Amino acid sequence: MSNENSNLYHDQIVLHLVQFAVVWALLAMTVGVYISAELVWPTIDFGQFWLSFGRLRPLHTNGIIFGFGVSALMATGFYSVQRTSHVPLFMPRLAWFVCYAWQLIILLGGLSLLAGWTTSKEYAELEWPFDIAIAIVWVCFGVVFFGTIANRKIRPIYISNWFYGALIIVIAMLHIVNSLAIPVTIGKSYSLYAGAQDAIVQWWYGHNAVGFLLTGGFLGMMYYFLPKHAGRPIWSYRLSVVAFWAFTYSYIWAGPHHLHYSAVPEWVLSLAMVMSVILLAPSWATMINGIMTVSSASEKLKTDPALKFIVLSLAFYGLATFEGPMMAFPSVNVVSHFTDWTIGHVHSGALGWNAMITYGTFYYMVPRLVGGELYSVRLANIHFWMALAGTMLYVMAMWGAGVSQGLLWLSVDEIGELSFSFKDIMSSMAPFYGLRLIAGLIFLGGTMLMAYNLYKTIAGKSAVKVQVPAVDPAFGVSS
Amino acid sequence: MSTNIYSYLLFKSLYQPLEAFKRLSQAEPSPIGVMLRYSIWLLILPPVFSLIGAANFGWRLGAAEPLRLPMEALLLVSSGYFLVLVFGLFSTALISRWMAATYGASTALGRHVALVTIVGEPLAVGSLAHLFPDVFINILIIIPTMIWSMYLLYKGIPIVLGITSEKGVLMASSLVGWLLVAAVSLLGLSMMLWTLGVGPLLGV
Repeated sequence: MSNENSNLYHDQIVLHLVQFAVVWALLAMTVGVYISAELVWPTIDFGQFWLSFGRLRPLHTNGIIFGFGVSALMATGFYSVQRTSHVPLFMPRLAWFVCYAWQLIILLGGLSLLAGWTTSKEYAELEWPFDIAIAIVWVCFGVVFFGTIANRKIRPIYISNWFYGALIIVIAMLHIVNSLAIPVTIGKSYSLYAGAQDAIVQWWYGHNAVGFLLTGGFLGMMYYFLPKHAGRPIWSYRLSVVAFWAFTYSYIWAGPHHLHYSAVPEWVLSLAMVMSVILLAPSWATMINGIMTVSSASEKLKTDPALKFIVLSLAFYGLATFEGPMMAFPSVNVVSHFTDWTIGHVHSGALGWNAMITYGTFYYMVPRLVGGELYSVRLANIHFWMALAGTMLYVMAMWGAGVSQGLLWLSVDEIGELSFSFKDIMSSMAPFYGLRLIAGLIFLGGTMLMAYNLYKTIAGKSAVKVQVPAVDPAFGVSS
Repeated sequence: MSTNIYSYLLFKSLYQPLEAFKRLSQAEPSPIGVMLRYSIWLLILPPVFSLIGAANFGWRLGAAEPLRLPMEALLLVSSGYFLVLVFGLFSTALISRWMAATYGASTALGRHVALVTIVGEPLAVGSLAHLFPDVFINILIIIPTMIWSMYLLYKGIPIVLGITSEKGVLMASSLVGWLLVAAVSLLGLSMMLWTLGVGPLLGV
């Protein structure tokens, strides 16, 4: 029915995906807060397997990355690819299928994690039936996205679409290769790889999932929504294209830096370290491009909370993309690895960059989707300060805990024996974990405010019908 | 005019920061003057407190017995700390001036040095926590002082540089980015020095 009128954008799908993303954010962040409380009071799993840290932790990470993150990327990808191509979505029924099938995978996949089904591969814990379903839905996502680009009425393919495109292609490649396995039962399989190869493939996947999903995908979001919102073209389009290719080329090599001081060959680790350091250049080029775009923006920014989120997200993006290469140095990694410093690093990216840019984008996009005003600018401003405070507190607590752990674990006595037991070090971390719990509660509280704010903005409305505008002949596709 | 602002710096800037920001917006003090009469006295506090604390009590990293280091190692660490703080202040002031140029705000360097110092003053005073060298206690005290400092950063930039508060938020957020990177570099650099054996031996 929705493809009867070929001159309207398909925005109802976008609105649904935004709502799913917010629901997953609330659920997965609540799980995160709960497991951070378990680290302070270990008995609150009440002896239930499904409440144990081991099962809830992958639920938290998968819920955030694939539930919240991917739903938000699908929503913003569908929204921006239509507008940058000047055509409605290709195969809208397939797009609806992608939207709902993805949510079903997250829901059932989450339940399977609670039931204890796991491949034990980090960020790829879901078992083989889900892996196959993910591959199918992901390819459909690619068909809708690239089909829309193929149908485009504008000759150039805008930079945001390059990033979304890289997200779709690379994640498909990573997911399929890393998930190759021999099924034994419906809920158990064995990886095709063994030993050090398994580790290399897993971290080639794991690091590039961070790279092309949490970095590249969200950069696509940034490249469309930041200039749109600031009312300015991107500061340097050329820089954005150079950064894209440099980013794509160097990221794919960096995975083995997760495996320093392991059985992986030294040259693989050195190569990963060098590529991680090179990666700093395109990452920062992108950050500077974003900040310069905003700084040249006009006075129209008034009373707008969305742009604040986007600019602050760039600050945390700068932190995370600097900290990452630094932690890839073996001499830093020897302290930071296996400590909470890593958890702090991930969250400066996940809370500071991914969540904040998504919040900023939702505050911008949702009122426009339903053709109204944001329900409360004041609540959004409060949310901004809660998000900033929560993230800072989280990062500070984990820096303190991580450095303490790293130094204590490395210390040996006169005869070369470890000075402290693992148990003693962990129990001395409770105060840091308490702080982290508070940080998580503050951040979750902010997200709840946003959920309420967006709910009131959307309530009783559906997406407004937007006509595809006429194409400037200078940029049109000559048929 | 500039004597007017100096009467505010060091003491009144701590408990009347907003008034200090207002005065600063009308003054153009020389950067060297601000540095010598104001900033340097605050920058010296954290290294001195940490020297006294570590020499008398030793650092506690949680489970461990207090970590005691020989005096020369402590002096080395404290001098390094001081130099890093001076570098941090100046680089932040320079970056703030550079950003101010793109935001069409005031680019008088002395003003930026004073602004960064007023913003950092609570942290310098909060470094009293170093007298009790326990990592967790220090973090616990630094967090509220840091929140206060960040409040001053977001509040101070539009007042001192004469830009709208919306632009001020954007510029302050960009500066937060730089400060976070500076903080984590310091952390990484110290770890690197430690593990490479350049820094003092901690038995690690």
